[in-house]
Amino acid sequence: MDETDPGSNDRLDVRLLAEIAAGVEEAFVELYRRRHNDVYRFAFGMARSRSFAQDVTQEVFLNVLENASRFDSAKGSVRAWLFGCARYVTLDRLRLERRWTDDMPAESTTFDSDERLIADQRIERLHAAIARLPVEYREALVLFELQELTYAETAAVLDCPVGTVRSRLHRGRVLLAAMLEESEQARAEAGAKIEPLQAREVCS
Amino acid sequence: MSNSPHEKTGLQPDLVQLRAALRKVEAPAIDEAALRSRFREVQRQRAQSAVTERAGGSWRLPLAAAAAVVLAVGGALAVVVLRGERAAPTLIAAEAPVTAPPAVSAFQPLLRSPGLSSSSYSVVRVRIPLSAFAVVPGTEQDGSIEADLLVGEDGLARAIRFNEADALLLSVADQ
Repeated sequence: MDETDPGSNDRLDVRLLAEIAAGVEEAFVELYRRRHNDVYRFAFGMARSRSFAQDVTQEVFLNVLENASRFDSAKGSVRAWLFGCARYVTLDRLRLERRWTDDMPAESTTFDSDERLIADQRIERLHAAIARLPVEYREALVLFELQELTYAETAAVLDCPVGTVRSRLHRGRVLLAAMLEESEQARAEAGAKIEPLQAREVCS
Repeated sequence: MSNSPHEKTGLQPDLVQLRAALRKVEAPAIDEAALRSRFREVQRQRAQSAVTERAGGSWRLPLAAAAAVVLAVGGALAVVVLRGERAAPTLIAAEAPVTAPPAVSAFQPLLRSPGLSSSSYSVVRVRIPLSAFAVVPGTEQDGSIEADLLVGEDGLARAIRFNEADALLLSVADQ
């Protein structure tokens, strides 16, 4: 099977899911190997926390174990179905942790220094701003922009019309740009205040 | 977004860079043994519940019938007891048919509650001592009454209904 062909990937995922429903252990391990990073990255994109993403991934695959037989290939790909599961788990956890639009806790505000994955500060600030977006814009942006789902796939995951996805993406981007501009201004003002103070400290 | 000034200042290229960076993010290494163990555990549970369901089919009908008999007898006893307790104060209560449903009042808004603006509420069942309803000091009644509180998402109670409204009316009438 050609692993680079999305169609053949989908067919393999569907077959694995059917085998999981029939109780084939190897199929579960194989699907986990193939797709756990997708789920992990979605959750990480949403909450910007590694521990959060890990918990979501585990919970999603437990759901897979219990609900594999409910998958309907007519409604979309296995990957989109997994994102749908990941979305529910993520929203539940965000609701519990009251992190809809709050600032991220210290654990997730910076990446681990020894495995810094996004070195550029602009990109870090962008991700931080995405994680502070209202959840309906955030999930659309993460799925479409960061996970590279199509409009139709995003709409299927979010269970809404394509037009709604487009408008959420538009509003999300506008809001994101405004948040970034605001944080840039705040940084510039903070920098202007701090610099003379540092100069005085050096002199004294 | 193409007409947004922010787009021109580089939001889209930054999104592309973030996408590329996220592609490099890897989940922690798989604990395959734990994964397989979890799979077997779920399979075991599924098999057990299937066996229970199959075994349950043969005695489900008699059990349901027994439950219905117990409920009917219990209900009849409760009606007799309640009628015995309430017969004296009012004639209307004594004439009520045996099969009458329990008196349940409609939800009444609580004084100074914020109003019913939200779309999501919880109903919390509580028991309130009848002494709480004493109008004249020293006339407190023993016992309690079951009530449902309509609680908003903010945790504030908005309305109340009494599930044994007749008992409350009788206690107030006694006073």
